[in-house]
Amino acid sequence: MKPSAARGAVRFGHTELPEEQRAALRKAVKFEWITLGFLAASTALVYAVLGNSQAMKAAWVEDLLSFLPPLSFLIASRTIRRRPSEEHPYGFHRAVGIAHVVAAVALTVMGAYLIVDSGIGLVTAEHPTIGGFDLFGQTVWLGWVMILAMLLTAGPPVYLGHVKMKLAEKLHDKVLYADADMNKADWMTAVAAAVGVAGIGLGWWWADAVAALVISASILHDGVRNTRAAISGLMDKRARTYDDAEPHPLGSRIDAYLSGLDWADTAKSRIRDEGHVFHVESFVVPQDGKMPSMEQLESARNACIDLDWKVQDMVIVPVAELPAEYLPGGAASGGES
Amino acid sequence: MNKPFAAAVLISALTLTSCGTSFPADPDGTLDRVSGGVLRVGASENDDWVTVAASGEPEGSEPALIREFASRLGAEIKWSVGTEHVLAADLKHGELDLVIGGLNDETPWEKEAGLTRPYTESKDSRGKTHKHVMLVAKGENAFLLELDRFLMAKAPK
Repeated sequence: MKPSAARGAVRFGHTELPEEQRAALRKAVKFEWITLGFLAASTALVYAVLGNSQAMKAAWVEDLLSFLPPLSFLIASRTIRRRPSEEHPYGFHRAVGIAHVVAAVALTVMGAYLIVDSGIGLVTAEHPTIGGFDLFGQTVWLGWVMILAMLLTAGPPVYLGHVKMKLAEKLHDKVLYADADMNKADWMTAVAAAVGVAGIGLGWWWADAVAALVISASILHDGVRNTRAAISGLMDKRARTYDDAEPHPLGSRIDAYLSGLDWADTAKSRIRDEGHVFHVESFVVPQDGKMPSMEQLESARNACIDLDWKVQDMVIVPVAELPAEYLPGGAASGGES
Repeated sequence: MNKPFAAAVLISALTLTSCGTSFPADPDGTLDRVSGGVLRVGASENDDWVTVAASGEPEGSEPALIREFASRLGAEIKWSVGTEHVLAADLKHGELDLVIGGLNDETPWEKEAGLTRPYTESKDSRGKTHKHVMLVAKGENAFLLELDRFLMAKAPK
């Protein structure tokens, strides 16, 4: 958790983070550790009262899987600090994408497994057996303890999710986003499991399996959605906002800036999202086919880098006309909104 | 967000308990049927836990416990003596309510039946500790809880 070498100089590859992002990163690391601590406590608690409820089992597996995104984030946020080297000229930013894929595939596989497992329980009319539990010398129904455990673990992730969501936006971190998104929805899992157990109490043996199916479906849904997002990231899909809601506005800002230069006629960029930072290739058509000077090119590049901390790895290519083969879709540039 | 849901779950559960409906309830109504009726018990011979007298009546520590449990429920006992294998299958198909036989919590019949809480421990000649349980029909949670409460109260502290 200690900041790297010189405090104040936190880097993602060779990108030095601005103060706002540096603070967000520190806070995100702290909150991911808090998340891990909470998960350790909650998995232990739920395991202790697991009993024969399939819904509780599904909720517990989801808790276990919830370890993956924070761990991925913590590992990746260390790895990407390494500077680019001769062997890794683009830096180590892709560590984030790889961590994302690993976590997403685990979610997908477990979600699918639990759907089959719970479905079998429903089809074979498995009646879940929940008996007594010794609570300070009293024998109470274990179901009450299960419901209590689920309701206790329902609240904290919602709070953690809200905090991490804000940080994910600042850091443009999709693993953190996925993690926060799952945390925010976690209370539904807890409530579904509690309802399933309460259903058993009412004598509805099927309620448990149905609740388990609901939980498994939500795990699978998270898994598929995250796998898709992670893979399209690794496939160099055009840069989008942290929540994948829309193309990242930075693209059109860069194009607008470059097109507005007094030596430029028009400009378009293609941008890929390396994890936190962008790789930008901007094609600029100079006015009247006159080559810009070295100073003009340098100052244009520096101005673009100053637009946003995510832009660092950038090349400007003067061209006679915009190359359609690199800029498919004509008007659409790397990140037009 | 989750507070109203939690409250709804708790309130509905509490209402149902106070309405007199048994909570947890038995999907197949074992506890209701047995109370003041007939308790069908399968007994499998095992050491001092269950022995079968010449008369065919099961004796030993577990039949003694079950006789007391049955008398509390005002139930008459209908004994079936057999091997665990046969008794577990009968239990699974609803032909028995309870199976005893000095079973422990590692019983292979866990898939076919519900287990009580371990109510006592014993050590075998190899020094291995066994946690003793009885078997009930799966999912008959009111009956199971009733039995668990009885066994816990009886358990040597």
